[in-house]
Amino acid sequence: MRKQNTNYLCILLISLFFAIAETKAESSYQIVTHPDVNEASISKNYLRAIFSMRLRTWPNGLIIKVFVLPDDNPLHHSFSKEQLSLFPYQLRQSWDRLVFSGTGQAPTTVSSNEEMHAKIKNTPGAIGYIETSYIDDEIHVLQIK
Amino acid sequence: MYSRLNSRPFFFLLGLLFNATAIMLVFILWAYSPFVKAQEKTDGSNVENKNSASSAWSTAKDLLDNLQIQGFASQAFIATSDNDVFGNTDEGGGFGFTELGLNALLRPLPRLQLSGQMLSRRAGKDNNGTPRLDFAFFDYRLYSHETNQFGIRFGRLKNPFGFYNDTRDVPFTRPSILLPQSIYFDRTRNVGLSADSIQFYGETSDAQWGDLTIQFGITRPIVDDRDTEISLLGSALTGGLSPDVSLIGRGLYETPNKRFRFAVSGVWFNADYKPGANDPITVSPGSIQFSPIYISAQYNTERWSLTSEYALRKFRYSNFDFARLDSQDFYGESFYFQGEYRFNHKWEALIRYDVLYTNRSDRDGSEFAAASITGTPAHSRFAKDLTVGLRWNITPRIMARLEYHRINGTAWLAPLDNPDPLDTSKNWNLFAAQLSFRF
Repeated sequence: MRKQNTNYLCILLISLFFAIAETKAESSYQIVTHPDVNEASISKNYLRAIFSMRLRTWPNGLIIKVFVLPDDNPLHHSFSKEQLSLFPYQLRQSWDRLVFSGTGQAPTTVSSNEEMHAKIKNTPGAIGYIETSYIDDEIHVLQIK
Repeated sequence: MYSRLNSRPFFFLLGLLFNATAIMLVFILWAYSPFVKAQEKTDGSNVENKNSASSAWSTAKDLLDNLQIQGFASQAFIATSDNDVFGNTDEGGGFGFTELGLNALLRPLPRLQLSGQMLSRRAGKDNNGTPRLDFAFFDYRLYSHETNQFGIRFGRLKNPFGFYNDTRDVPFTRPSILLPQSIYFDRTRNVGLSADSIQFYGETSDAQWGDLTIQFGITRPIVDDRDTEISLLGSALTGGLSPDVSLIGRGLYETPNKRFRFAVSGVWFNADYKPGANDPITVSPGSIQFSPIYISAQYNTERWSLTSEYALRKFRYSNFDFARLDSQDFYGESFYFQGEYRFNHKWEALIRYDVLYTNRSDRDGSEFAAASITGTPAHSRFAKDLTVGLRWNITPRIMARLEYHRINGTAWLAPLDNPDPLDTSKNWNLFAAQLSFRF
């Protein structure tokens, strides 16, 4: 009986941990674009197509430029899992398949939130994700439906 | 470890790619400027207006922004108990397996991509490291609406079959140092690798159902290397193979989270034989038809990737007017089961069981051996390979690998490296280590 209680406690603690992690992660970053991308919101499927590098242009004709943080960056992990429902290794594998078969391009990797901000601000058609504290008027926040 | 690495092909490769890129850039710059102006008109508000003085510069800059260059270099050590794999490996091992690649992707227009890749591969007698053009093609998106795309590719293209063929020479994209040889033979690799083709592709994506990608190509296969000729015709015939119109297609379905991936691919390969003057036997200009079908499935979780592929390969030789060749009408069969486990983002383990039957109605090769005049052993007609491996992602750019193969049979051994089938051993082991770098 006591063992069972301990088990339940463990499950509870683990779920609690995930719940906390979830809410924390959800509020800590946003998907952002260059202001010229005239989209207020896009669907999750559309977002996944963009980050899978299968789409080349925005509806207004601008070339889509995708920016990501390095594969081992914690924010990159949260973003891929929560927004795309993909593990970082799956993204890397699909980008490698495109690049080394010549049928697509890979996203540009930036090293930090600062660099992400600079790239999003200065590159027409840019899309990326950034910690909420870096958001200002120079970049546009994209809502996911 | 690098002391025996031959650096000459690398520099040659580098030089070639830079030349090709430079020519491509000049051409694109010339062709690009009218398009930029056209784009400015249509997209008016979105693209910054450029005054004429700075337009040449900004055109060049835009182009560079749309150019990606990447490459890789990889060196392996292979040791075998018996039989030779990529060099003389059964006397203490060797550093005979080197892979180098350089790749450029340019998107001069939103709908157009130009792609090129040079490869140098040093692996046994058939691959001496001479750089070759792996692919170079135009990809034009004819239709794109939301998540549905349709386009056309033209040039030398990778042959789309199975999960791995498109990127089989890039160590980072492979599950192991050696791909499962039952499906991705290295002995007839140049046939399978790439071909001059026109390819149509379509992609559609549904939030609930997932993604479907279909590729279909009309190709002219590359069949003129000696290893391929020996593999398909034996070493006695000295004439040459020439390509005939061939077809290739693949449909790939993935659930939205890529948890499940399924693919069906098919090839209809045709080549003609032109008899050589020194052929020891008289044969007519015959033809070879090779039509394999591949079924691939994968299941992915955060830690596990379980993969299996099956191939049924039909061979048909006709019009040689030589009974031993014309009677070659059989099905080969291949399959493997593979598990990859990720301990964390640095360490991965692999286990795989891979089986090849040259002729599925003579799986143990006994009928073949009984009929063989030269006494070719039965074990040359099958191969069962149990592999375990370890991958260490030292950094996102550097990877090290170790693997061990326990092999029964020699069906996928390269004949150029093992010219005498009587000299091969049925049961053998292979150990391999590899260090790979990408940029």
